[in-house]
Amino acid sequence: MLWALLALFVLYPLGAMFARIFRDDTGFGIAGALATLADANQVRAFWNSLLLGTLVGVLGTVAGFVFAFSAARTKLPRWMATAIDAAVLLPLVSPPFTAAIAMIFSFGPRGLITYELLGIKGFTVYGLGSTLFSEALTYFPIAYLTLRPILAAIDSNIEGMALSLGASRWRVFRTVTLPLCIPGIANAFLLLFAASLADFATPLILAGNSFPVLPTQAYLQITGLFDLRGGAVLSFALLVPALAVFALQRYWVSRRSYVTVTGKGAGQAPFDSAAPSVRALLLAACAALTLAIVYLYALLLYASVVVALGANHALTAQHYKVIFTEGLKAIRDTLIIAGCAMPLGGLYGILLGYLVAKRNFPGRGAMELVSMVNYALPGTIVGIAYLIAFNDPPVELTGTALIIVACYVFRYGPTGIRATVALLQQIDRSLEEASQGLGASSSTTFRRVTLPLILPAFFAGLGVVFIRSMTAISATIFLVSIGWTLITVKILDNMTELSLGPAAAFSVLVVAIVFAVMAAISWMLSLLRAPGAAPVPSLLGG
Amino acid sequence: MMAATGIRVEGVSKRYTHRVKGEVYAAREVSLEVRTGEFVTLLGPSGCGKTTTLRMIAGFERPDEGRILLGDQDVTGVPANRRNIGFVFQNYALFPHLSIFENVAYGLRVRNEPDTEIRRQVGAVLDLVGLAGYERQFPAQLSGGEQQRVALARAIVIRPRVLLFDEPLSNLDARLRVQMRHEIRDLQQRLAITTVYVTHDQEEAMAVSDRIAVMSEGTIVQEGSAEDLYHRPASEFVARFIGRVNLVAGRVVGFLGEALQVEALGARVRVREAPLGARPGDTLRLVLRPEAIGLSAGSGSVSATVLARTFLGEKIEYLVRCGNETLHVTRHNTGGGAIFAEGQAVALRFPDGDVAVLGPGSEA
Repeated sequence: MLWALLALFVLYPLGAMFARIFRDDTGFGIAGALATLADANQVRAFWNSLLLGTLVGVLGTVAGFVFAFSAARTKLPRWMATAIDAAVLLPLVSPPFTAAIAMIFSFGPRGLITYELLGIKGFTVYGLGSTLFSEALTYFPIAYLTLRPILAAIDSNIEGMALSLGASRWRVFRTVTLPLCIPGIANAFLLLFAASLADFATPLILAGNSFPVLPTQAYLQITGLFDLRGGAVLSFALLVPALAVFALQRYWVSRRSYVTVTGKGAGQAPFDSAAPSVRALLLAACAALTLAIVYLYALLLYASVVVALGANHALTAQHYKVIFTEGLKAIRDTLIIAGCAMPLGGLYGILLGYLVAKRNFPGRGAMELVSMVNYALPGTIVGIAYLIAFNDPPVELTGTALIIVACYVFRYGPTGIRATVALLQQIDRSLEEASQGLGASSSTTFRRVTLPLILPAFFAGLGVVFIRSMTAISATIFLVSIGWTLITVKILDNMTELSLGPAAAFSVLVVAIVFAVMAAISWMLSLLRAPGAAPVPSLLGG
Repeated sequence: MMAATGIRVEGVSKRYTHRVKGEVYAAREVSLEVRTGEFVTLLGPSGCGKTTTLRMIAGFERPDEGRILLGDQDVTGVPANRRNIGFVFQNYALFPHLSIFENVAYGLRVRNEPDTEIRRQVGAVLDLVGLAGYERQFPAQLSGGEQQRVALARAIVIRPRVLLFDEPLSNLDARLRVQMRHEIRDLQQRLAITTVYVTHDQEEAMAVSDRIAVMSEGTIVQEGSAEDLYHRPASEFVARFIGRVNLVAGRVVGFLGEALQVEALGARVRVREAPLGARPGDTLRLVLRPEAIGLSAGSGSVSATVLARTFLGEKIEYLVRCGNETLHVTRHNTGGGAIFAEGQAVALRFPDGDVAVLGPGSEA
């Protein structure tokens, strides 16, 4: 049953896409595909994508490391740690192009800073610089979440030891702390690289014509030129670096971790790894970045309640009126789709995670790998593959809500799988044996012991699927239709039509809904959690 | 109170495949009989097969060969949840998501006991282990010793036929370990429940057990009371594993009636329980416990020199040089007794008549 679903929603679309890429009128061949790729503009887009990914990876990892190091290894006051966590959370829970929109508000043709403040006319925000900044800002939380537990898990006694052997703080950092983090840093870089490679909306808004990247080119090829095959070929070019990153991450980085991250804290107060001056510098950097994030989001909120940012700053509820009338269908559709995808994705995650971690059956490894495919691939590829596969019989789903729901479930459900597997690995075998020894059958043991213990993974899966269903765009922009549309797509439409007010209002609404649902899920989790039990892994980890 | 039964383990083996060594035995033809109400400890170093044997009795592992009987019932093929055993894990294995009350009640709920009965029994057993009032707490809020008591309560509340312990005290600090082993022994006596206990700590084993089975490399090498094992070890392994020992080479010089006369380090000692077939001229090793060797100032038939002295409060340990041998000698600190200095010449006195020996064939 699960295999059938995986085959239909993971393997079949990819296969259909490959078939489309390699088949031309004369039969199978790669000549047609090569011709599309040889186009100078597309070659440029390919290198641009790699360049952007690399820069975003470096910049985002540095920012993430600074945040993580400050939070984990300098004795921060509690309120500052909370502020950092909140600042990091914002980009994570908003649509990926929110920062891009705020950038336009700030530095665009009528931008608050460039036009209003500095009086510069004709300043172009579009290009590599702003795309890079915007993506780095959006994705650095991933680096932060990857690096913080690693930094926190490094035993301070190791640093203390190096210090007592006569090394300076800087030397300790250089020769002990940093080397221990190298696998984590590599991992963070790869994650950011992959995220940037797959990001499609930010470049669409900010990169402009001068800086084409692959995902946007693929999108334009399909929506502009109705060239499905060309789009498929372009997104296929994306597949190569994406798979390379995935393979590197899975088979190289994962074997080189020195620090085992367990739920157990070290117990002692963290060793103050930074000299006071360095600490001040770090804090200043964190504060600056935090302020930048807060500023961008505040701006978004402001833009949603004034008539026209940069021109008329009179307060108005007009934009909200628009989104709740004209935009109401998108809101309703999005909520329905997210509401359907959420339980299905959570269930899928916990079920597959349990099977993979606890049951021994032929093809188990293959099943785990296949289940991760849609998660690992850039959204553009998944979207185009679904579009190609489900456009025609035998499985015609284009235009339905089902295609979007399926896309979300199989693309974001794997977070739940990972969380379930991770939790199950933490549960000692003796717990199930204890239940068995007390006379419980294996089904009772599952129901009364195993299930309650992996419930947090279920909720983590729910949370991620919901958040992504509210905020994702790269895959589903290919799948929306007259019948079913999404808020994120609507925002993008508004951006291209330059109706910035409603775009801002939509963005604020999404962030608000996501926060509300996350709060609800956290509350449920706290109800489930036994007092004194280990904290549940972060909703967004991984 | 409990329907306790005896345990018979008959020629049980468990194999597994090792990455390097290929097929190895975790337990090899282990046979053991535990009488109803008896407390037997499986003692041995890590990897000796004691936990594997215990897990097979519990039903968590299935033996490749042999049978396991609880009372008259052959339970070899019976799954763990039908055996009605109580098991206390090394890490306690308390359910982290259930309160203390629900942890203890778990086995009763599985048995569909009525609520009032569950409340009564859980209350009684928590009382018994000294945890009345902890019902609403959760495992993570309890100290190690308290968690240990919950695990114990959870195991005995179902009135198991036998109670099994897998290194239950190894996660506790030294003081608590001593206290808990008395509590476990006391509880076992009061409930008169058949118990198998696994540990690598010989002192713990001697403190709690009626009988000890020493295991090494998958097999039971010797069984007996603590006194038996201590005074009459059958092999060098057992002699060295239980307590501290000096193994001193000696030569059989003749018979004195029933007893054998052995010469070692220039002294002659009588050995009552001589290995069969020992004859004059044979070499044996005397099992001399540190506290059994007498020590006095000046010179005697066996003279030695004090190499090192360790003052441990209740006792004083000496390392003495005697001929080619270095011996451990322990003296109780009687307060008035002599304390010897390092480098001082002393006379040793070997016990006469109550010395165990190891024959040439007991190297294991």
